Amino acid sequence: MRNSEVAISIQNLSKYYGKFQALKEISFDIMRGSFFGFLGPNGAGKTTTINTVTGLSNYQEGKVRIFGYDVTSEYVRSRPLVGLCAQEFNFDPFLPLHRMLTYQAGYFGLPQKLAEKRADELLDRFQLTEKRNMKYRTLSGGMKKRLLLCRALIHDPEILILDEPTAGCDLELRYHIWDYLRQLNKEGKTIFLTTHYMEEAERLCERIGIIHEGHIVKIGDKKDVLKDQTLEDVFLELTNGK
Amino acid sequence: MLINNPTGLIALSKREITRFLSVATQTLIPPLISTTLFLSIFGLTLGKRIDLSEAGITYLAFIIPGLMTMQAITSSYENASSSLFISRWHNHVQEVLLSPLSYFEMVLGILIGSLTRSAIVITSVLIVSLFFNPMPISHPFVVLYFAIFIPIIFSCCGMLAALWAEDFNMLTMWNTYIIMPCTFLGGVFHPMNLIPEKIRFFTQFNPMYYLVSGMRYGVIGVSDASIVRCMTVAGILAVSVFCLVVYLFKIGYKLRT
Repeated sequence: MRNSEVAISIQNLSKYYGKFQALKEISFDIMRGSFFGFLGPNGAGKTTTINTVTGLSNYQEGKVRIFGYDVTSEYVRSRPLVGLCAQEFNFDPFLPLHRMLTYQAGYFGLPQKLAEKRADELLDRFQLTEKRNMKYRTLSGGMKKRLLLCRALIHDPEILILDEPTAGCDLELRYHIWDYLRQLNKEGKTIFLTTHYMEEAERLCERIGIIHEGHIVKIGDKKDVLKDQTLEDVFLELTNGK
Repeated sequence: MLINNPTGLIALSKREITRFLSVATQTLIPPLISTTLFLSIFGLTLGKRIDLSEAGITYLAFIIPGLMTMQAITSSYENASSSLFISRWHNHVQEVLLSPLSYFEMVLGILIGSLTRSAIVITSVLIVSLFFNPMPISHPFVVLYFAIFIPIIFSCCGMLAALWAEDFNMLTMWNTYIIMPCTFLGGVFHPMNLIPEKIRFFTQFNPMYYLVSGMRYGVIGVSDASIVRCMTVAGILAVSVFCLVVYLFKIGYKLRT
């Protein structure tokens, strides 16, 4: 890993879907070890931004770097540094949980024994040990969310990107995930979180960015973004909400 | 270095191999049943009416390499196409796309799974065939060459179809409308001198003809086409389609938005 204090660097990033411009020359940096909240209405460009950072989406203009590595030309070096907790449950329906996690760890270069140990630890951490030999379709919604987190963390990435990780979770699970994310952040992980829950961003994040119609309309430290307002007020004001 | 992440490549290959082994009743047994049926019906019954004594072989011996080629094509195509298409369909292809495997390694991992399935199928078909018609293998290294290159070609074709297809109907189209007709017309069941000369002319443009002929030369030492030409066609096709698939992974064709 390059000795960069900037974990994610996005410079003049533009992304088009046909003629529709989803991202309009957005630029921002996320520093190593920070907890960054990325907010925006549906269709604002949050997931598109995440997909360009993780390499799941091509882009037409700009530069995206992970700890100095270009995500397109140096993807072999940038990808091990990132773990993505996706919004949807995109698991292989034919694989038991433990084996799925072991394979996933293997893709990231973890030897078999270490991969199995890591899978055991994460299943235990997220209370899924009993389900280790089950297939994901037998899990409840909350369990599937936890499995997404297990998969994102299996290779112990420096950066954790979470695309609405607590959507559809009950309060208990939400608090459990928040505690775990705080702990990961304390351990030095950089966290990039998108959420529709203002309370979640307000409680967890130290920096906040708001995207609207492909533009970054606000970005900064939480206290500078909020001033004397609530995050919900700031968000609605900037995104023309009512 | 072509392989930067050997552990990742092994993990992906292992996953691909486990995938088809876990459904062996759908992937490994059917080729044996169909081969037995083909050999029984075409080889033992209808084949008695076809005289190939001029070439010094029986019709039963003649169709064995054709069946090996046909099963190699079917199993490698089905394996790669279903694996990649299902992973696109369920979107768990992202597990591989997010990993630090290079695009070359991603394609190679899927390919190793198909090659393994194909190797098991070809060997099983050959063993079953030898029960019907015991005979020595004329050129084992030629057989090995085609047993590697034929699955490479059709695994890559399977991946191309899996990338192109939007639904299961589109996925099966290649096999139904292109691969199967070309395979049958390529001489699996008939020597070229039995078909009308006008049609025979077009056969030389059918790549399957060279693959079937090459395998036939390896197994029984007799071939309609020159073995050098057969090997060249197989080699060029394999390298071309492999490079094309790696390129499509690189640009993210239907894999990235």
